Amino acid sequence: MRALSIASTGMLAQQTNVEVIANNLANMNTTAFKQQRAEFQDLLYQNIQTPGSQTSDQGTYAPNGIQLGAGVRTAAVYRITTQGDLKSTGNPYDVAIQGPGFFRVQQADGTDAYTRSGNFSLSPQGQLVTQDGLIIQPGIAIPQNTLSVSINAQGQVNCTIAGNSTPQTVGQLELTRFPNEAGLQALGSNLYLETPGSGSPQAGVPGSTGYGTIQQGFLETSNVNSVDEITALITAQRAYEMNSKVISAADQMLQDASRLGS
Amino acid sequence: MDNSLLVSLSHQLAAYRAIDVIANNIANASTPGFKREASAFEEYVSRMRPAEGEMGTQMLSFVKDAGTLRDTAQGQMNQTGAPFDLAINGKGYFAVQTPQGLRYTRDGHFSLDAAGQIVNSSGYVLQGDGGAITITPDDGDIRIAPDGTVSGRTGQLAKVRVVDFADEYAMVKQGANLYSTTQAAQTPAVIDIRQGTLESSNVQPVLEISHMIEVMRAYEATATLSKSEQDMKRQAVEKLGAMPS
Repeated sequence: MRALSIASTGMLAQQTNVEVIANNLANMNTTAFKQQRAEFQDLLYQNIQTPGSQTSDQGTYAPNGIQLGAGVRTAAVYRITTQGDLKSTGNPYDVAIQGPGFFRVQQADGTDAYTRSGNFSLSPQGQLVTQDGLIIQPGIAIPQNTLSVSINAQGQVNCTIAGNSTPQTVGQLELTRFPNEAGLQALGSNLYLETPGSGSPQAGVPGSTGYGTIQQGFLETSNVNSVDEITALITAQRAYEMNSKVISAADQMLQDASRLGS
Repeated sequence: MDNSLLVSLSHQLAAYRAIDVIANNIANASTPGFKREASAFEEYVSRMRPAEGEMGTQMLSFVKDAGTLRDTAQGQMNQTGAPFDLAINGKGYFAVQTPQGLRYTRDGHFSLDAAGQIVNSSGYVLQGDGGAITITPDDGDIRIAPDGTVSGRTGQLAKVRVVDFADEYAMVKQGANLYSTTQAAQTPAVIDIRQGTLESSNVQPVLEISHMIEVMRAYEATATLSKSEQDMKRQAVEKLGAMPS
């Protein structure tokens, strides 16, 4: 009786589905979070009778075969990388990317990571850093006595320093893009890592062809749609329930079978 | 064994198979592009010699599973918003290149690989009119028109290939949402691809659960039949074997 194991693959798959949905809902207010979806595939089939097998030497064929499936598996949990809404914050160090691209940051071990979360701050040395203190690459230092900072759509960082009416350019934000954004490995803390699936990073100036532009004073919200998630949650829960019903039905049948000999 | 026991055994085996098929349908209720299967049974008639004191031959019919029928009805269309989620509205299959050759699928979840080619979740390359379809980051937002035309910022890039077959039911399920067939691919008259949409499985939960209950009850009835048959035999042995006083 395969029904027991088939239904348990179904329950496992729906459990993964609920976990992915739970993570999406938990990150509804995470800056630049991208929603994920679980994708399922059917498992291998056992061909007991192949469709189109000959049923006589007169050239008659069975129109249908007997193919028994073995259940379902999670094929992928993929990220939907659509743009989130931009939310105005008024903070001069909040920058949102409108369009494709990632900011590059240097991790503690010296390797690069990528993020779209632009809620930056200043380090004690005046450098532009993420909320975890990772330095934005290429490094941008804001001089002391700076009165105001402006970042234009092309990522140029200009500072007005006390005693000088002309703004000075102190740095240039850079964006990195990938042939396949969805192939990046999520690291947590809004960071992503390059993988063989994502392709190699290509750095460029914001606003040039194929790169997004920078919006100062805005943050990108998550692209999670709560209504979609809740309906998906209900569907997943019902599917889980039905798989458990199959298990109890199969169990009942086995019970009947074992009663036969008594 | 007695014939009545063999007949009920044949039904019990068929019921096991039926519940397996239903379990697979329900397990795949969230698998995109999955087509439900239904098991079909047929009567297998055998002639038996007349029993002692009876005239003529008697017919005995067993149940045997004839096949699983695939229901190729279209599943519901679900909006996902992902640019490479494609659904075929109407007939047709996407073609993907696997190491074993071309395979066909209605699961339209695709993404890009490191080389910028459109691939499915197993990494198999989606076939366009000229083979693989490659997207570069410079192409910007990708639009896929209902007829399969893929266009970016610079205009048309390729066209997604949609194929159809003379006998859909003869296609063999390979697992991983793929089908294989030896039939020649045809181009359907109408191609209607929806971007940002996935076709969900066409499993109808209510139908499957009610089928399941039906199979379960039928199985139970057959089991009861076998049980009473056994009881009858036991009683016969007891009564006939009792020494006349």
